[in-house]
Formats: sequence, structure tokens, C-alpha cells
Amino acid sequence: MQKDTRRLPRTQGACAPTGVAAAILALRTVGKLFAGRLITATVAAAALGPLLLVLAPQQAQALPAFARQTGQNCVACHAGGQFPELTPYGRMFKLTGYTIGERSLPLSMMGVLTANKAKVSDPAVGKPNDGSLIFNTGSVFIAGKISDRVGGFAQITYNNYDSQNPDTGAWAGHAGSDNLDIRYADHLIDANRDLVYGFTLHNNPGMQDVFNSTPAWGYGVVPGSTGAGNGATPMLDGGLGQQVAGIGAYAYWNKMLYAELTGYRTGNGMFSFMTQGNGTQNFIKGTNPYVRLALTKEWGPHNAMIGLTHLDVRQYTDQTDFSGPTDHYRDNSIDAQYQYLLDPYTVTATVTRIHETIDYGTIGQPADSVNSMRAKASFIYQAKYGASLSHFNMTNSMGLESKGWTPEVFWTPVQYVRLGMQYTSFNKNEGVVDPRDPTLMLNGKDNNTLFFYVWGAY
Amino acid sequence: MKTATITLVLGLAAIGAGCTTTLERSRNLADPHVSAKTLAQQVCSNCHGIDGNSVSPNFPKLAAQQEEYLVAQLNQFKSHRREDPEGFEYMWGISRRLTDDQIKGLAAYFSAQKSVTPGPGNPKLIAEGKKIFDSGLPAQGVPPCSTCHGDQGQGNGQFPRVAYQHSDYVIKQLTVFQRTNERPDGVAMKAITHSLSDQNMAAVAAYMQQMPAK
Repeated sequence: MQKDTRRLPRTQGACAPTGVAAAILALRTVGKLFAGRLITATVAAAALGPLLLVLAPQQAQALPAFARQTGQNCVACHAGGQFPELTPYGRMFKLTGYTIGERSLPLSMMGVLTANKAKVSDPAVGKPNDGSLIFNTGSVFIAGKISDRVGGFAQITYNNYDSQNPDTGAWAGHAGSDNLDIRYADHLIDANRDLVYGFTLHNNPGMQDVFNSTPAWGYGVVPGSTGAGNGATPMLDGGLGQQVAGIGAYAYWNKMLYAELTGYRTGNGMFSFMTQGNGTQNFIKGTNPYVRLALTKEWGPHNAMIGLTHLDVRQYTDQTDFSGPTDHYRDNSIDAQYQYLLDPYTVTATVTRIHETIDYGTIGQPADSVNSMRAKASFIYQAKYGASLSHFNMTNSMGLESKGWTPEVFWTPVQYVRLGMQYTSFNKNEGVVDPRDPTLMLNGKDNNTLFFYVWGAY
Repeated sequence: MKTATITLVLGLAAIGAGCTTTLERSRNLADPHVSAKTLAQQVCSNCHGIDGNSVSPNFPKLAAQQEEYLVAQLNQFKSHRREDPEGFEYMWGISRRLTDDQIKGLAAYFSAQKSVTPGPGNPKLIAEGKKIFDSGLPAQGVPPCSTCHGDQGQGNGQFPRVAYQHSDYVIKQLTVFQRTNERPDGVAMKAITHSLSDQNMAAVAAYMQQMPAK
């Protein structure tokens, strides 16, 4: 949900949209109220869980705008209630343009409380990595069915720890556009044919995908989680998130073959509403293609997918000179997922391998390559109790490699709220300066991080 | 920029076109003008299959199901009288605005489909299940299933067809009847399932999944 900030420095951007100002103020207040340490976090969780159980309706016709629209519970679309990962029905809901159901109030909110405790924390960073429970992010969604064939969602996210004043060390919050996807879709189906086709306008390569093995939805999706650490990630892994405008066409035939072609351009000018508030604009040259193919199969309670993705991006070497050379990023990905869905059990396994080559526009600069290998398996019982194990291995020619494992346990006491604890164990995490001695770099294990979160939406 | 402008205009035109009401392939569950056949194809088929032969055992097979039974179930979902978890998680919302005509139309659509078996099961379990289905378990006070559901499991009016039903779904519903009051309109099944063991349920469900039906 949060954009990748590796490629461009994050600076203060445009002001928050006035429509969400009140919500942001409230979210800030919540953040201050929850300032504390990791122990406090655990105590708070113990107290918060039963409280939520009492406060939240047990058989409500569900959560955010989409659940109100369909009247269905989160588990209908999200595997084991484990948002944002989708079930086969959830995939069809998205592919058919978020149009199943009836028009309803298209507003939802989401908030995330987190506590990160790094083994060797940087005192200069402060609360985000010293175990304090912080209000991390809050989002407002405008989401739902617009007409029989048009629907979508737009997310505006307030990041409470967006940037740090280099002089005082004080953190400042900031709001900006987050994921956005607007679709037109049609479904031609009868006894002899089954074809979904549609068009999508969105702002993050991969977020339009419906499978859980795409970087946008499958790995490190809890806001504030450790993810792959400091390892360099490819463009396809959020490198252009909320920086571009993509217009694509897709088709899903006989619930077997998915194909998509999307073109991305710089999200400025008339498309700037899709990128506002995300710091310095990243400029890419012309229209940059994204091609996606996936084969799917469903049998009994099982379903599986194997897919290929290609993204080709030319980013201006000098971001102020649009007549100059470009850095050429070519990403090729192979990914697969397996799901077992039979009440009360949910099993999901994903694996994603991305290889990227970067040819720089600067004459004489040698090419780089970036490889990303990620895998995750999760098990959920009764859509309440879950555990997962994920692995990442980022290798590249830049000296920014990372490798490690992240086990997680989580609990969904009510469908709107998830509490979880992750521990990321690094075998390697290059490029992190030792806060105790800036002339040294931390070794991998020093970056090991315990992460606690409370993730709610309504 | 010119290309982008043209693309955006075309995109908005497409969205504009999409804003018009298109009853033929609508997924609007609150419009009484959308035909039952359209709803079956555009919405129900996502889980139950275009011909009512669902792939996942999480969702019951509706093909060739008794029309009267389907009408009753949809009305029970709509009125929240049926409240087994999968019922309210999925079907309360789907059924909340359906009209009587749409409910009748959906029942007619699925009852007219041809049912096919989801697949074979354990032969030993199936043989054990056939005995229970045909003869009951007199020592446990369990009557033969065939008494109400038909000798071929074809059902009869308010008594559902069970032939070719997913065994996992059958087990789940037998458990709901036995251990909860979440399906009050099927209260007769509570007494019938009272003394069924897990093994009995698995056996009769395995038989139903592959049993011959007319």
C-alpha cells in the first residue's frame, strides 16, 4: 500500500486534499494517543482485542464500501479474510469492474498502528524503529460501483511518519494519493462462452493485477512492515507506484487465460490527480509497455496460477531534461500461486521471481541487474487465526542485497481488524550504516526486526 | 500529450457509455428489471458455475436442484432465517434485494440445468454410505435418507436433491443441522442427524457425491 521510496528522495509535496483534512487531524490525534513502547503495544493488543469483539457486530454485512455494496463478508473476496489477498470470487469481482451488487455509500477508512523494534535501532530515527507503538498510516477510500459496467477505487493515504526534519529530527506527516484503479468491464457468458474484458486506468504497475503473487498485493503488504529491508527492488515492485498513469486493456477467457496490455506514462498534467502528494515527480519517456499473461486452473477446493509479466520503462536520466538520455529498465517476472479454500481452512502459497536489467543513459556507466526472489505461504483457520512464512532474496550488481525470512502470526477477531506480529530475520541487508559508528555498516542480523501491527478498516 | 489527451477522452467516453443502464449483462442486484437469467450468469455463476455445477465444494451444486427448495432457501437467506456462516457471509447480501419474480426465475434457471458428479470417492466409504442412504441406521434411530430425498437422491419439492452434491458441502450441512439451530426451516434434519457419527456423515456424503440420479 505504501509506495516504494528507493528511487527518488521523498520531499514534501502538495497539501492534503481538503476533503480528508478532518480525517487526517483525527488520525494524527489517534497517533499521539497511542505513542508508547512495544510492551505497551502488546498490552494494548490484549486489551483491544476483547474490546473490539464487544464493539463490532458479529454478523454485520461487512466492511468497507465493497462489502456494503455486495452485502457480503470480507471472506467472500479475501482469502481467509486475509486482506488484500483475493479468492477466485474476489478476482472476478475486481475483473468485472467492482460492479457486482448495488451502489452504496462509496467511502471507507483504514488505519494502521505499528511498532517496529530493530535489534540495533537508530536513535536518530526514533519511534519508527525503537519499539514505540505509533499511528503509522491512515487511508480514506472512495470505492464502489458507478454503473453496471464501471467501478473503481481511489485511496488517499496519510503517512504519519512521512519525512524527518534533518535538523530537529522531528517527524512530519503527509497525505497523498495512493493506489487508484478505475475500470470498465463486461462479461460475456453463457453455456458456450466465458469472456471477461475490460479497461483500467490506474497508477501503480501491478496493482491492477488480481493475483496474490504480484508485488503490489502479495509481499510486505502490511503498512510499515519490514519487507525486504534495504535490498534494491525492481521497478515492478512499486518503483513507479503513484508516479505514473496507466491505461490498459485486459481479457480473461474461460477462467483459464488472463492477458493484459497496459501503457504507462508520467503521471503529470491531467493525470496528476493520480500522483499528487507523493514527492518529486518521476518522469518517464513516452508510453511504457506492460504485458501480463497468466494461466489459471480451479479444481475442487484448489486453484492455481502461473504467470509472466514484462515491464519496459525508460526513465529520464536527468529528471529536469526531457530531451536527454534515458535509463532503460526491463523487468521480466515469473510468478505462481496456489490456494486451498475449504472452510474452515485457507492455504495460500506464492512465489515470484523478477529479473531486471538497467541500461543507463549516461555514456560509460555499466549496466546493472536486479533480481528479486520472494515466496510466501500462509495458513488460516476459521478466517481468524493465521500464520505465514515469507522469504526474500534480493540480489543485484549495486551492492544493495538483502536476504531473510519473515514468520508471522496474526489474529482477525472481527473481519474489520487484524492484529499481527512479524519477525524478520536477515541473513544479509547491505547498505545500512551502523548508528553506533557511522564509519561501519551493520551486519545482516543487526537489522532483525520485530514488528507488531493493528490493521483496521471500516 | 496529444496522444494522452485522445486516450483520456476515449477512456472517459467508454466510462460514459458504461454509465448507461445495460440490463442485458448487468450485475446490479438491486434492480428488479434485471432478469433472473442475467443474474444467474453475471453473479451466481462466479461461485455456482454457469450451469449450476460448482467447482469448489465451498459452494453447493445447484444444477437440477428442486425448484421449490431453491425458492425456499433464497427466501430464508433474504429473511435471515438461514444463518449458517457461509449462508450469511455470502448469501444474505446477494439475496437482500431480490424480488419474488427474480427468486422464482433463479430457481427455475438452476433446476433446469443438468447435474454432473464432482468426481469419484472412496469405494468402501461409498458402500457404507449407500447402506445408510437406503436403509438408515435403525439401531441409532436414523431413517433412510431415500425416504424424503428419493431413491436416486433426486429430491422432492421442499426436500433437496442430494445426488451429485459435493461431499464436503453435505458434511458441512449435516454438521450445521446436528450441532446448531442455524437452519430452523430444516429442523426435521436435527433429529435425523442427532446420532450420526462423523464417520456416518462422511460415508453418506461420499455416496451422495457419486450416486446415480435420474
